[in-house]
Amino acid sequence: MGLKRCLRGVLPASAGLFLFLCVTLLSVTPGLAGGQSSDEKAVPILTGSAGYFNFVTAGQNEVNAQINPVLLVPLGDRWLVESRAEFEGAFQRPPDGGSYGGMVSKNLDYLQADYIANPYLTVTLGRFLTPFGIFNERLYPIWIRSLQQDPLILPLSAESSDGMMLRGGFPVNAKVNLNYAAYVSAVSSGHSNLESDRNVGGRVGIFLPGPRVEVGASWQKLLQDERTHSFGFHFAWQPTRLPLNIHSEYARSNHGSGYWIDGAYRLSQVLFWQKALRRLEFAGRAEQFFSGQISPDEAEALELPAANTREGEFGLNYYLHDGLKAVASYGRQFSSAGNLNLWTVGIAYRFAVALGRAGSQ
Amino acid sequence: MKFKCLVITWLLALISVIGAASSAPRSRTATEAAVYSPAEADAMRLEGEKRFRANCNRCHAAPHKFPPRMMATMVRHMRVRASITDEDMRYILYYMTQ
Repeated sequence: MGLKRCLRGVLPASAGLFLFLCVTLLSVTPGLAGGQSSDEKAVPILTGSAGYFNFVTAGQNEVNAQINPVLLVPLGDRWLVESRAEFEGAFQRPPDGGSYGGMVSKNLDYLQADYIANPYLTVTLGRFLTPFGIFNERLYPIWIRSLQQDPLILPLSAESSDGMMLRGGFPVNAKVNLNYAAYVSAVSSGHSNLESDRNVGGRVGIFLPGPRVEVGASWQKLLQDERTHSFGFHFAWQPTRLPLNIHSEYARSNHGSGYWIDGAYRLSQVLFWQKALRRLEFAGRAEQFFSGQISPDEAEALELPAANTREGEFGLNYYLHDGLKAVASYGRQFSSAGNLNLWTVGIAYRFAVALGRAGSQ
Repeated sequence: MKFKCLVITWLLALISVIGAASSAPRSRTATEAAVYSPAEADAMRLEGEKRFRANCNRCHAAPHKFPPRMMATMVRHMRVRASITDEDMRYILYYMTQ
């Protein structure tokens, strides 16, 4: 009676759905191993990215230096403990002149334990990147993203959540893969390095390996304050005949809505100056944000535009070496609060070192 | 009170997951296979490259190959991060390490 009352009174429909998913996945008897091969013992590694950028926004220069170490510690065939921290220094010259000054922010993006339960299910516990859309989880690292400016709609969903997540990917048939993530964030923290909200949500995606197309949808319900809903859709396409990557997202919450679409084209098929041009990539992004029920102060705190905004950006990336790229881009932002130019120039580096005997290559 | 109930529910679910999975028998995997003929190995590498391009290149350019034990960790990380299927992960690991 107590538990029944507790479940009826406490669990919203969304959390009930999450529980249903748990039970359904548990009913799958793991006939396959799920864990990783044991003839190559995984070794702990320290990887991540470091970057130095100059962001010039409406004529104001910001010197940005950051390092984002990622620690990966495999345990046995089925466990992985992983963590990413973000140390970012953003320095600007005061309006009345003088030397550059600013803050160094420190954030723990994720610290999670993953358990690969079976081929269909991985259980994650701890602080994890919120699986809403694709940018936050997959495209965020500076060595991966094709343009260094964040999309305008990125703050519409929580970047990190503290709680539990179930996720996985499996083939539905030879032509279709399905991936999913469902999570509950149980901790509300306003601590500047560990921000998170209590929420529940999920994402489902369908990937077609033949045409290399992925489409998906995300949903999130806040379990505190206004208990609002957010939802979004994502799309990714990598044509088989062209070195082109296209990504897009749409998101909507009570704070606003919007979309972005970006494309990156690597000049690896050009027949002349191949040695130099195959390292060059053109990137472009178009995006729009529609302001929601939010005051300008709240918008500023959430790092959202205070008014309806459109933006176009074009950039060049040059891969000097594996994991090392030079970037430059120009963007123009149009808004009722004022139009402005966005210039970016910098360098991003991805590193990886083994914390143990790595074996021969 | 509400929060405690929620936490207890998730903990029960987690314990069930771990219990169910721990009792699962292990099976032979693609990379555990002892010996492949040269033709089979070539076919596996080609399939692994195809799956690498379809899954990994969707987000980032191909990294150079790391030592096998580092690749094993990275592929496990990406399996979780990008929700790569079990089968894809095994072919990609074979391609990146053999």
